[in-house]
Amino acid sequence: MTQGYDIEEVRRRYIGMETAESWGRYPVEHDPIRRHCHMVEDTNPLFLDPEYAKKTKYGAVICPPSGWLAIYFASLGPWPPVFEPLVPIVPAPGKRIINLSQEVEWFQVIRVGDRLSIKRRIADVFQRPISIDPEAVWVVSELIIGNQNGELVCVVRNTLLFHRTPEEVAAEKERRGEP
Amino acid sequence: MKRPQRYWEDVQVGEELPGFSLEINTRRIFLQISGTQDWYPLHFDSQFARRAGHPDLFMNTGFIQGALVRVITDWMGDEGFLKKLYFEMRRQQRPGDVMVCKGRVVDKYVRDGQHYVECEVWAENEREGITTPGRAWIILPTRGP
Repeated sequence: MTQGYDIEEVRRRYIGMETAESWGRYPVEHDPIRRHCHMVEDTNPLFLDPEYAKKTKYGAVICPPSGWLAIYFASLGPWPPVFEPLVPIVPAPGKRIINLSQEVEWFQVIRVGDRLSIKRRIADVFQRPISIDPEAVWVVSELIIGNQNGELVCVVRNTLLFHRTPEEVAAEKERRGEP
Repeated sequence: MKRPQRYWEDVQVGEELPGFSLEINTRRIFLQISGTQDWYPLHFDSQFARRAGHPDLFMNTGFIQGALVRVITDWMGDEGFLKKLYFEMRRQQRPGDVMVCKGRVVDKYVRDGQHYVECEVWAENEREGITTPGRAWIILPTRGP
């Protein structure tokens, strides 16, 4: 066990922890949707063409139903830099993070012009070894996204893996005097 | 011009969602950063990725998710509603790979008055096979009143 790290104490303190609701920096805009579509060569006019979208039942361009885009519009974005953690900060021996799985459940579409809010909640924390780190920590988080009408838009559940680098694992072994 | 619409009655279990392929090259890596605004170096800096214990950089969750969502939205048409998408980032899409994304209908049923189609969706490449298995629950319109 990494020096001073107590997974049971972390579980007691962090499971169920929730952040206050916060609002995205900008309304939902055309251009981030266009860039998101460009990266996967998506030419769907429902996401890109205001004239086409106006004639559909939505009446406006909507976002592709990607949890990633919903989180983007409900958050502050990478610039100007504002520290905004993905989830309440759960202590872990490793600082490297990988997103292992995601589930997104949708309740409303997102239209250009919407304002989105986000609340973050820790659903579970546990320790399970991976090939490069025997003390990797797994965090299950929920991101609850709403809109300006007080409607629930989607819930995004992520399983995040926090791990150490091979050098950090080797250094810890050496500290303990393990071969 | 209106895009083709899928109706629940016309869907066959076992039917394939055609999907598409994307080359993972330097241009795609830049497009990934532009399209996701994810500036974590694991997804654009090979040296950073190797120092973290990975063989190379790999494409991020937002990119893979965007591709799986496109498989579904290309197929379901404007009136379809993606109710839920689950996927696992089991293996990686790295520079030099050709990522192929596809799907298949595995079930259809009516629940709470809604007409659902359940699909397997996935990303794969030649090097590792299926890298990102997933499942989608889609609500489709019906032809009837």
